[in-house]
Amino acid sequence: MAQSLTHGETTLPADWRDLFALTKPRVMSLVVFTALCGLLAAPGSVHPVLAFSSILAIALGAGASGALNQWYEAGLDAKMKRTAGRPLPAGRLDPQTALQFGVGLAAFSVFLMLFASNWQAALLLAVSILFYVFVYTMWLKPRTPQNIVIGGAAGAFPPLIGWVAATGSIAPLPVLLFLLIFLWTPPHFWALALFVRSDYAAAGIPMMPVVAGEKSTRRQILFYALIMAAAAIAPWPLGFTGAIYGWTAVILSALFVLLSIQVGTRRSREEDSMQPEKRLFAFSIAYLFILFGAVVADHWWTL
Amino acid sequence: MTDEPRQDPFDEAEYRRRQRSRANLMGWLLGGLAFLFFFITIARMVMPK
Repeated sequence: MAQSLTHGETTLPADWRDLFALTKPRVMSLVVFTALCGLLAAPGSVHPVLAFSSILAIALGAGASGALNQWYEAGLDAKMKRTAGRPLPAGRLDPQTALQFGVGLAAFSVFLMLFASNWQAALLLAVSILFYVFVYTMWLKPRTPQNIVIGGAAGAFPPLIGWVAATGSIAPLPVLLFLLIFLWTPPHFWALALFVRSDYAAAGIPMMPVVAGEKSTRRQILFYALIMAAAAIAPWPLGFTGAIYGWTAVILSALFVLLSIQVGTRRSREEDSMQPEKRLFAFSIAYLFILFGAVVADHWWTL
Repeated sequence: MTDEPRQDPFDEAEYRRRQRSRANLMGWLLGGLAFLFFFITIARMVMPK
């Protein structure tokens, strides 16, 4: 467990920057963006104050999930180069403070969502936080290489919550957007896992490259990229989106599959710089941002 | 922010600085929330059911 910042009987108050880092701000930006797109793509109009408050609630919920994840994994984070500098493993923050911060933020985010939108969105937000913390972080991640396949559902909730916050009900399009993020998660994380494999192995986390080996992981990246591409394009032929989204999805998904073929058909050598894997990982982030932007553009303008 | 756990003797100036910055932040946050909840209430009143 992480050391706390104590001096005998006196504990230094946590620095706000460390509490902010606990919320995984970079992950939060993708969550906020996809949630906002879900909300903006929904039919009807939402009062700007209520829309802002709903997105704020989703952002705080994501921050709370990140904080509770870091609180639980402080010991594992200390063993990995990539995460050893985080506030808890580096000893800049007291674990008790991190736990209280995470639980308080989670409760507040659900309350804010309930107050600003509806109980359906608040319930979905609560389920996504609980799923991320208990099902993904505590149960799946240390036990199975399928951790991010099933756990990916937690990250897929935001556009669905955004939509439900605006309409109070679930529709096929946000379910397809949920499916898209769900299927996008394995190739995204396994591309990362391939080039930080030794980190995961050192921490004893059973990520796919550590357990099943590199060859199997590369094959599965390609498999998931193909079904993800089908799920990404599906809203167009099914009539839920128009040509703006459709062509964006076709072009970007083709690029995603091409990059996945590069990753899926090669083997790394000694001292490999893992450029194709890094390229796929970086592209996968841009892919999701642009595709969700296209969902909103398509809702507002038609070709 | 430091990367290593601090082992130095109790630094009262640092303690006061952190306490002050946290108190300021809390003040701004609570003020912001009061405004937010006020505007949410107004928005809910003017939104058609």
